[in-house]
Amino acid sequence: MLLLLVALLIALFAASTFGTASVSWRDAIAGEPTARTVLFDIRLPRVLLAALVGAALASAGVTFQTLLRNPLADPFILGVSGGAACGAAITTALGLARVPGVVSIVAFIGACGATAAVFVLARRREHTDPTRLLLSGLVLNALFSAIILIAFALSPASDLTAALRWMMGTLFGATWSDVLLLFSFVTIAVATLVTFAGDLRMLAFGEDDAKSRGVDVERVKLIGFAASSIVTGAAVAVSGIIGFVGLLVPHLIRLIWRRDYRVLLPLSALGGAILLVLADLASRLTLPNSELPVGAFTAILGVPFFLSLLRRSR
Amino acid sequence: MLEIRGVSYAYDGVEAVRNLSADFQRTQLVALTGPNGSGKSTLLKLLARVFPPDAGSIAFEDRKIADWQPKEYAKRVGYLPQDPDPTFPMRAIDVVLSGRAPFLGRFEWERETDDDAAREALALCDAAELSDRYLDAMSGGERKRVFLARVLAGRPKLILLDEPLASLDVSHVQQFSRLLRDIVTRTETVVIYATHDLNWAAAYSDRMLVMQRGSLALDGPPSELMRPEVVRDLFGFEARVVDGWLVPRLP
Repeated sequence: MLLLLVALLIALFAASTFGTASVSWRDAIAGEPTARTVLFDIRLPRVLLAALVGAALASAGVTFQTLLRNPLADPFILGVSGGAACGAAITTALGLARVPGVVSIVAFIGACGATAAVFVLARRREHTDPTRLLLSGLVLNALFSAIILIAFALSPASDLTAALRWMMGTLFGATWSDVLLLFSFVTIAVATLVTFAGDLRMLAFGEDDAKSRGVDVERVKLIGFAASSIVTGAAVAVSGIIGFVGLLVPHLIRLIWRRDYRVLLPLSALGGAILLVLADLASRLTLPNSELPVGAFTAILGVPFFLSLLRRSR
Repeated sequence: MLEIRGVSYAYDGVEAVRNLSADFQRTQLVALTGPNGSGKSTLLKLLARVFPPDAGSIAFEDRKIADWQPKEYAKRVGYLPQDPDPTFPMRAIDVVLSGRAPFLGRFEWERETDDDAAREALALCDAAELSDRYLDAMSGGERKRVFLARVLAGRPKLILLDEPLASLDVSHVQQFSRLLRDIVTRTETVVIYATHDLNWAAAYSDRMLVMQRGSLALDGPPSELMRPEVVRDLFGFEARVVDGWLVPRLP
C-alpha cells in the first residue's frame, strides 16, 4: 500500500515534469509565466485527471469482477464505458454539455443502463457465463458506437473528431474543474465501496453462501453496481472510453497480493492511477510533435493480457 | 434445537419442499438422502436462511429463524453449498478466515482470535498442512476439507452441508464420513448433510432422512432404511443387505 502510494507520487511528479515543452518546476515556482501556464494550467490538471480516471476505472473493474464472479469483467469490455460515452455524446450533440455536471449525470445514466443490460443478458444462475458476458459487451459496444456516430452526424455543427474523442479516450485539454468534479465522484464512490467491502468480498463465494453468512445480498449488489456505474460514468464524461484499465490493474495486483476484495479495492485504485498516469505520459512522449490517444495505449497493453485470461478461463 | 413445522417452498410454481416437519436435538449426525430433485438442497437452503419458506415455520433455539438477526444466525449456523468456489485464487487459510465474517463489524479486520479459530478448524478437518496452499492447486478432497474448515471456523451449533461427499473417491468418502462423525462427537453439534451414498451414510450417521418429491418419506435410524423392501419402495431398486451393507441385485 505504502509502496504503491510512493510509486504514485513518483509517477505524478515524473508525468508533470516531462512533456513536449521543456519547462522546469523551478521556473514555475519562481513565477515565470510560460512555465506556470504549462505546469499549473495544462500539465498538472491533466496528470491528476489521469490518476483519477485510472483509479475510477480500476475500482469499477475490481468491483464488477467480484459482483459478476468473472475475471473478465471490466467497464470497457462490458459496454458500461460505451453506455457512458453514448450518454455523454448525446448530451454534447444536443448542445447541453456547457451546463456543469450534466455530461457526468447523463454519462452515469448511460453507464447504469449498460450495467443493467449486461446483468440481464449475461446472468445465468449463480455465475455469469463468460461467453455471454463477452458477447453482450461486444454487441452493446457496437450499438453505442453507432449511436455516438449518429448523434454527431445529426448534430448542427457536426464534428467527427469530437465523436472520435469519446470513442478513443484522451486526456487532452483537462481542466481543474474536470479534476474537481471527478475527484468528488471518485471519493464518494470509493468510500461507499470501502464501507461495503466486507460484504462485497463474501459475494465472491456465491450469493447463496453470502446470504447464509448474513449478507444482505440484494442491497450490496445494488450499491456495488451503482457505485461502479457512477465512477465509470464520471471518468468517461471527462476522458472518453479508456479500455482495459479495469481489467489489467486488478489482475496485476492479484499477481502480487492474492488477497480479498477489502485489500484489492484500495490497491487497485492506486494501481489504476499509476498505470494511467504512466500510459498518458507515454502517449505524450512517444511521437515528438503529436500525441497518441491514451486509450490506444491501454488497449495495446490490455489486449494480450485479456487473451491470456480468456484462454485460462473455463 | 431445530424445529421444522409444515414447511413448503416452490420455485416459480414448482414445489420443491412440501409440508415438511422434523425436529433435531443436539449432537447428531443426520444424513439427508433421496433421489435427484427430491428437495434436499432446497431444504438445506431454507435452514440456512438463503430464502424464507412460502409456508410453515422453522425455529432455531426456540426462536423463529426469520426473527434472528442475519449475522447472529450466521454465527450459529454454518452452511456449505454444493460447489463452493471463491472465483479468484485464494490461500486455504484466507478461505477459512472468511468463515469468521459474521463475527466482524463493518470496518473490523480479523483478529488473533479469528486466526486461532481458523487454524483450529483446519486442524479439526485434518488440513492444517494445507493452510498456506492455494485452492486452485488442490485436489477435490483437499478443497472439501478446506471448505468444511471454513464452516467450522465460526464454531456453529448447526452445520448444513450440501453433498460434501460428491466427486470424492471411495477412500476419501470414508475418510470424510469419519471426519463428520468425529466433528459431531467433539463439538456436540448437529450436522445435516445431503448425500447419495446410502451405505456410508448408514455406516456413520445417527439418523437418516429420505426425501421424495419434497416430502419426508422416512425419518429414523439407519437400520430402518437398510432393508430390501424399504429400499425398493423409496429408491426403486432391488438389493440385499450383506453385513449391514446394501448390495444391488444385478439383472
